[in-house]
Amino acid sequence: MITTITIFIPLIGAILMLLLPEQERPLRYAALAVAAVPLLLTLYIYFAYGSGLGVPSLTQDFDWIPSLNMGYRVGLDGLGFGMFFLTALLTLIAVVASYDVRENLKQYFAILFIAEVGMLGVFASEDLILFYIFFEITLIPMYLLVGIWGDQNRRQAAIKFFVYTFLGSTVMLAGFLAFGILAGTYAMDSLTAGGGLGRTAQIAIAAPILFGLLIKVPAVPLHGWLLDVYVSSPISTNVVLSGILPKLGTYGLIKVAIPLLPEGVEPFLPYLAAFGVINIVYGAFVAFLQPDLKALVAYSSIGTLGFILLGAASGNAVGLNGAVLQQVTHGLYSALLFVLVGVIAARTGTRRIRELGGLAARMPWAGGLLALGAMAAMGLPGLAVFVSEFMSIMGGYEAFPVQGVLAALGIVLSAMYLLYMLARVVFGPIERPAYEAIEDAGPMEMAAAVPLAVLLVLFGVFPALLVSVQRPGVEAVLSAIGGG
Amino acid sequence: MVTGQTFVALLPELVAIGFLIGVLMVGVFFQNSIGLVAGLAALGTLAVFGSAAGLLAAGFEGEYFGGGFVVDNFALYFKLIVAGSAFFAVLAAARWSGNTGDAPEYLTLILAVVLGSILLVSMRDLFGVFLAIELATIPSYAMVAFDRRRRESAEGGMKYLITGVVASSVLLYGIVLIYGVSGSAQLDDVARTFSGGLTPVALLGLVLLLSGFAFKVSAAPFHFWTPDAYQGAPTSAAAFLSVAPKAATFAILLRILLEGMPEAAPTWTAVMAFLAILTMFVGNLAALRQRNVRRMLAYSSVAHSGYILAAFAALQGQGTGRAVEAVLIYSAAYAFMNIGAFLVIDLVGEEAKSFNGLFRTRPALAASMGVFMASLVGIPPFSGFWGKAWIIFSGAQSGSVLVYVVVGALVVNSVISVPYYFGIIRNMFFEKPTLDAAEPPGGGAVKFSVYALALLTALFFLLIVPISALAGGSGLG
Repeated sequence: MITTITIFIPLIGAILMLLLPEQERPLRYAALAVAAVPLLLTLYIYFAYGSGLGVPSLTQDFDWIPSLNMGYRVGLDGLGFGMFFLTALLTLIAVVASYDVRENLKQYFAILFIAEVGMLGVFASEDLILFYIFFEITLIPMYLLVGIWGDQNRRQAAIKFFVYTFLGSTVMLAGFLAFGILAGTYAMDSLTAGGGLGRTAQIAIAAPILFGLLIKVPAVPLHGWLLDVYVSSPISTNVVLSGILPKLGTYGLIKVAIPLLPEGVEPFLPYLAAFGVINIVYGAFVAFLQPDLKALVAYSSIGTLGFILLGAASGNAVGLNGAVLQQVTHGLYSALLFVLVGVIAARTGTRRIRELGGLAARMPWAGGLLALGAMAAMGLPGLAVFVSEFMSIMGGYEAFPVQGVLAALGIVLSAMYLLYMLARVVFGPIERPAYEAIEDAGPMEMAAAVPLAVLLVLFGVFPALLVSVQRPGVEAVLSAIGGG
Repeated sequence: MVTGQTFVALLPELVAIGFLIGVLMVGVFFQNSIGLVAGLAALGTLAVFGSAAGLLAAGFEGEYFGGGFVVDNFALYFKLIVAGSAFFAVLAAARWSGNTGDAPEYLTLILAVVLGSILLVSMRDLFGVFLAIELATIPSYAMVAFDRRRRESAEGGMKYLITGVVASSVLLYGIVLIYGVSGSAQLDDVARTFSGGLTPVALLGLVLLLSGFAFKVSAAPFHFWTPDAYQGAPTSAAAFLSVAPKAATFAILLRILLEGMPEAAPTWTAVMAFLAILTMFVGNLAALRQRNVRRMLAYSSVAHSGYILAAFAALQGQGTGRAVEAVLIYSAAYAFMNIGAFLVIDLVGEEAKSFNGLFRTRPALAASMGVFMASLVGIPPFSGFWGKAWIIFSGAQSGSVLVYVVVGALVVNSVISVPYYFGIIRNMFFEKPTLDAAEPPGGGAVKFSVYALALLTALFFLLIVPISALAGGSGLG
């Protein structure tokens, strides 16, 4: 029951937002209160049940449409819990960081909370159709968030995002339906190991599902929608957009495609790993060429998602654990970077890297945190991403040595462009006289950034905080695919 | 033999006739009280709805007039859809027809279409089918042409009339040929004829019958009257006619095919598969190019006929029962979202740019239209998703490669339809307002309808289980 409550609390919050009068301060406080509830519930779940979240726990299950064997089935396991927590956290951060949203505030929060319902639902679904429904529920809110509150290019970006991801998810649905009809149920726990289907059938079903999920990730070359959307969004939307949405794709791989269709996915695994490497290398090179700070962060995101693909494709304990963990750590650092890009852009009036410089002198906090975020993105030891990236590469190397080595080279590439970015933006002489007068991040901005930075350090030093919860879930996947 | 039970069986029809006469009479004696007339007409549709619901709840079933008229769950369900759609059409019509001074006549026409449509779904005799179709169609020609002040209205009505008459002739010709072969027009006798294999004459009859129906439901390549008729028609007429008589026509087609010619299923499912694919593509590709929202919705209604025809193509193998359910679910889902979308046009205007910035000026209306558009695309959890999902389910269960192709085309078409439906959402939410924020007076009843329909569209998933249970007990499939 607590799972269902956590998923649907934001829906009540959304309705509440619409009923409130259009007054900025009370609205912001109310939104903070609403966003805090799922996070508190998630923390409660962590402390009360954390170690027991191996197989789906805290489940709720009733037959919804019995004639089709379709049910409302939700629960939390080690694979989903981290993302459940991250969703609740980043939604709260997005509310804190929503100072760049000035118009139609109540609608903004309402739509954000509806998106949260969809995201939380995906990470708790134990039924394929329910998974799809929640997956799609995120679509329209994201379309609206980008399209209404984004910058000049927002309309085109929003429609591009929608058409790409709707195409992907519709194809994915076709795969789900075929799977459910052939296997006789949509319940994930009864579908493990292919639901009794033969290898050919599994491959035929896995192909459309993988296609849909990879568009969502997005895996290069299916990433055409990403840059426009990331660059055009308001910062607070970026936090959710980059932190959570791509994980709907990677989580689907780890939770649905790989354990439920092991034989069907198996022939695709080397390609998944290759996609991962392409993401890493391509993302790094393209990021290096970006004149826009936000675009640079967006492409660095594409690169990091590659590690998740690689780890997921490895099919061994180390790689999978790395992938699951990387989903959370990537969310933390990309949200942090986007928040800080927003702070810098608001102060200096530009996001062009060549027009920035020497900000550390005037903005020690923002600059320092940007440096911390960039170091996390490089995978520096002591920060959370190091652990997950290292595990993904180790696992990937074990399964696919060529891809593993190339991925390791990707770390060098990412260090290259991130250091370049830091040198240009944060250090060096002050680029423009006008920057002498700018102020450091304010209390609200710090409130959005600092928790993320703290968690990056905390999970870097004590990765066991997360790994212990996720391990049983990973072991379940391993036993489904016959590895260990 | 006509007994008391017969009257009970005919209750919805009798109620409709009673109110039809009542509205006309009251209109004559109280010329100026549009409110009274409209109230009476609305009450009439509710009474038809209530009587059908009562029969359904009581589990009333039976055959009358020598088996030519049947009351079963299937028929009663479609009577509910027709009467429910008519209720919203009346609410919308009251506002518009009040200005023209012809309210009683227009409302009477709506009730006449209701009468024809609810008779239609109960027919088990091909000649009865023909009469009921004509009873539903002839008033609809008048409804389309009713707005005398607009040239398009007359033009649309004329086009609709001419093609409609041709379609009726083709349909009647088909019925006569089938009658000639069977020696009877009752579906049981027809079924016996078709069980012995298709003779050339029977095949010709079947093809003509299907062509006639294809005209009536605006399936490509017989769809060309649709955009002109729906664009010219008063909005309430377009909303109502694109939903209620169409649903009834699909329902009776389903009955004829399943009860009258099950043995010929391989033939007609193949025809349906072909029609479905063609109709989906023609409707969607044409809708993509429209700038006028009403015309866009007219083409979109062609596309949606294609989706329903996909369910007809799936009426084979294990998919049959599920396909019947799909038609039931889709009809209700489509009624909610399509009437809702048309009514928003009634309030906002039919040019795409009149929707600009609606979110800023009238957020609730914009949100409702957003729900309708998303639902028409087929995005969960809205009603349109469930309609399409059920068609895909039935297709997947049918076990036929051709049907898989049809289902594939449906998926592709859903994606093709995104830009034009979401174009409206884009205009409403992303553009600056061009419309004056001050709302025109009136339209309270229409607004009520829009919000009610938006709610039904959004919460449709609560109705899925009862509807599919009803389909299971419908006796068809």
